[in-house]
Amino acid sequence: MLLQLKNVSKWVHSGGQKVFLLKDINFWVNEGDFISIMGPSGSGKSTLLNIIGMLDDFNEGEYTFLEEKVHSLKEKHRANLYKEYIGFVFQAYHLIDELTVKENLEMPLLYKKHSSSERKSLVADMLDRFNIVGKKDLFPSQLSGGQQQLVGVARALIASPKLILADEPTGNLNSKQGEEIMEIFTQLNKEGVTIIQVTHSEKNMAYGSRVINLLDGKME
Amino acid sequence: MLRHNLILFLRNIKKYKSTFLINTIGLSSGLACVLLIYLWVNDELKVDKFHDKDSRLYQVMVNNEQLNEINTWNGTPANLPKALNEEVPEIEIAVGGTDPDWSMGFDLSVEDKKLKAIGKFAGNEYFKLFSYDLIDGQIDNALSENNSIVISESLAQKLFNTTEDVIGKTIDWKSLNIESPATITAIFSDPPTNSTDQFDFILPFGLYKYVYGEGWENPNSVTYVLLKEGTDLESVNAKLAGFMKTKVTDTKTSLFLAKYSDNYLFGRYENGRQSGGRIDYVRLFSIIALFILAIACINFMNLSTAKASRRIKEIGIKKAIGAAKNTLIVQYLGESVLLSFLSLFVAILIVILFLPQFNQLTGKQILLRYDTSHVMIALGIAFFTGIVSGSYPSLYLSKFKPATILKGKLNRSISEFWIRKGLVVFQFTLSVILIASVLVVYKQMQFVHNKNLGYEKDNILLFDREGKTVEGLDTFLLEVKNIPGIINASAITNDILNAPGVDFKWAGQTSENNFSRFIVHYDFIETLGVELKEGRSFSRDFSDKESQIVLNETAVDIMGFKEPIGKKAKVWGKDVQIVGVVNDFHYKSLYEKVGPMFFHLDSSYLTNIVVKIKAGKEKETIAKLEHFYSQFNPGYVLEYKFLDQSYQKLYESENKVAVLSRYFAGIAILISCLGLLGLAAFTAEKKRKEISVRKVLGQSSTQVMLLLSKEFAKLVLVAILIALPVAYVLTSNWLSSFAYKIPLHFWYFASAGLIVMLIAMLTVGIQAIQAANKNPIHALREE
Repeated sequence: MLLQLKNVSKWVHSGGQKVFLLKDINFWVNEGDFISIMGPSGSGKSTLLNIIGMLDDFNEGEYTFLEEKVHSLKEKHRANLYKEYIGFVFQAYHLIDELTVKENLEMPLLYKKHSSSERKSLVADMLDRFNIVGKKDLFPSQLSGGQQQLVGVARALIASPKLILADEPTGNLNSKQGEEIMEIFTQLNKEGVTIIQVTHSEKNMAYGSRVINLLDGKME
Repeated sequence: MLRHNLILFLRNIKKYKSTFLINTIGLSSGLACVLLIYLWVNDELKVDKFHDKDSRLYQVMVNNEQLNEINTWNGTPANLPKALNEEVPEIEIAVGGTDPDWSMGFDLSVEDKKLKAIGKFAGNEYFKLFSYDLIDGQIDNALSENNSIVISESLAQKLFNTTEDVIGKTIDWKSLNIESPATITAIFSDPPTNSTDQFDFILPFGLYKYVYGEGWENPNSVTYVLLKEGTDLESVNAKLAGFMKTKVTDTKTSLFLAKYSDNYLFGRYENGRQSGGRIDYVRLFSIIALFILAIACINFMNLSTAKASRRIKEIGIKKAIGAAKNTLIVQYLGESVLLSFLSLFVAILIVILFLPQFNQLTGKQILLRYDTSHVMIALGIAFFTGIVSGSYPSLYLSKFKPATILKGKLNRSISEFWIRKGLVVFQFTLSVILIASVLVVYKQMQFVHNKNLGYEKDNILLFDREGKTVEGLDTFLLEVKNIPGIINASAITNDILNAPGVDFKWAGQTSENNFSRFIVHYDFIETLGVELKEGRSFSRDFSDKESQIVLNETAVDIMGFKEPIGKKAKVWGKDVQIVGVVNDFHYKSLYEKVGPMFFHLDSSYLTNIVVKIKAGKEKETIAKLEHFYSQFNPGYVLEYKFLDQSYQKLYESENKVAVLSRYFAGIAILISCLGLLGLAAFTAEKKRKEISVRKVLGQSSTQVMLLLSKEFAKLVLVAILIALPVAYVLTSNWLSSFAYKIPLHFWYFASAGLIVMLIAMLTVGIQAIQAANKNPIHALREE
């Protein structure tokens, strides 16, 4: 088992009342899963994904990632954990505008203390694998949306994570570009990478092996 | 990682040029100010400290008890050094001498070469105390014979065009009515610029004693002391306090030692106690430097946090990818330190560019030399600036939660808002304080300059009485008065602004009194334009003898005479008669209250000739005077000074401070406004949508402009309200050292506030107009 959530709840206070963003979420993920989180806007999909990715915290419940109790870890330890095992892909790509494709790809490695030659070869591998060698010195603004998302996926993969979290990865792309990205995810999944994606689209959902449906912060 | 961060730093600079410019201009001008002030302070602190034995080098000071106060000066009797050497075992060497500015000026001649030079007298062991390098000759007994002279390198160059084979040559010197040949026994290197004693040659102190006498009553020389190592200053001072009583029974003077190198910075005494001096200005400027640096750092903080949204995405991503908080803090601190070093580089260029002007303003000769300690301090200041200005932004930026950032929501906390506002207020408070202070200093100096002193200081020329004017003074004065353009002429002993005090006694006197004495010739009172209150001035018609005096009002008040004319008094035991009373006039600086003084007619010992010239024709008249002088007194050059220049010299440091602080205040407000400009631009950008909606709903550009400006106007107003009381306290404190000063009007402070408000509003206004005049459609379409 890769991770498990037990009775996880998250709420905010609004006008003196508790508003639940997530309520009693229970599920587990095995290594090699390809899970789709579905649900309408505001149902808590992204919040759940962020909690799994340890970018956000929760108010109640337990979260175990590779036998580590995430909810009781210190921030530094938690950062080490997700740095090691988790890669993110965002709807809005979130590449750093001031860095070139090559430099953006290199960035996660900087925080993992790879040597310079290691970094170079890993970046070269990724550029190769995603067919973007010719784009390596371009800035994000010089790329199309599909290309940017390719870089986004490549960046998520470069540190060879066990788990990829994708928040509507095709949301800003046209259907052809979207298909390409989903193909890549399928391929990665076959190679053993666990994938959790948040999506609106039935078509994308079909790529996954399991679906979690959310409505108003609750699992259905 | 470093390379990556560097790339980000440089590309961000490229992308946001205006922010970068505001930051570098602000920081570099701030740093340039700080560096200049550092150089100045460093130079001030080093004055007179170059002597090897500095730590044991002292000067004898004299406290003189008056009726209500104790006056402090450095004049000691000429036989004090000898007595100290014999009677005080803690003293290794005591040496007598004179201050270079005490002398009346010397004319030197070698064969047909003639020139004026500044000389002092000093005892034979002078060079054992003071470190002036020997260039040629024998220093040990250089001043033991009364006919010897020790000259500086540059004087040797001037007289002989060389320093070689000069030893043993003879120089003829003249001062007043004394003339003598002297044999050069040694050549020393010129006193460095950071020496308060500046002189071209030294004559033996033995000669001084021979000419001017050794009496205990004549305190016109100075005494330098070298203490034995490990001596306790307190115990020596305890001994010296009563030392004069063992020599002169009814004396009211007591002696104490002050460190020789401290006299420059700690030169002011009030009631016998050390009460600051130039050190006050050293401290003041150090504080100003800190102020300016603080203002510049605040700019950086404000802009960095205000424009955080630009970097926030980068931070979010980095955090999501695995950057720890500390890594980010280090990155942003690194950026600000880097920017600070970049600004330091620009600042050094600015310093190099402005150093000549700065030297001119401060009267210094600071050179920018490579000096490890300077470099370390400059780097240290830059590093400190970088850390301080980067501290808040880096903490602020790195604490965001990545999830919220990446969602595009940036929850700006209330505290952040207040911190930024607080910083702007703080910045402008400092600016207002500086400007208000500058205004008050300016007004006081204007007051000092324009105050009716009770005499006319303008167009009065002073020059030495020498050569034929010694013998033929009356003929000279008579003929000078016939030169068209010359109103009057007379003579005086000593400088007008530096009249020494003497013991003054009269019938019915209750205590000993020290009155300032002006030893003058006929027509002096008229030449100076001092107004007569009663009685008469000195006149040849009354065949006045040298036993007659004219008092000022204060003197009459102290004596308590209802009808002073014709009454008798005693000066140094000799009878004098009062023939007139003049209105009080300011013969000292306005720091001091007008004291009791009198004019004493005595033609035997007049040192300076005083000439009053008609206004408007100064140049022609002086040319005529020079022509006449060269005919009357062949072999002498007319070297004159104006009285009003000497008057201005009394306020030399105040004038310098006035000018310097004006520049620094200007820079402070400039830097503050740069920051405001950045913030205003940012606010306009943030409120683009609000402005557009308002305009679509029918608000005019003017209303929108007001809306934007109002927010900043409030902050500046708060700053003004905080600053004014502080400025009031500071300036009234400064003014309190003046006996005569301007009243502190409210409008000085009000106008300082107004000036700052105006400049600030102008800065914001430009941004506001731009924002208000934009077509609202563009902004709304983006939504």
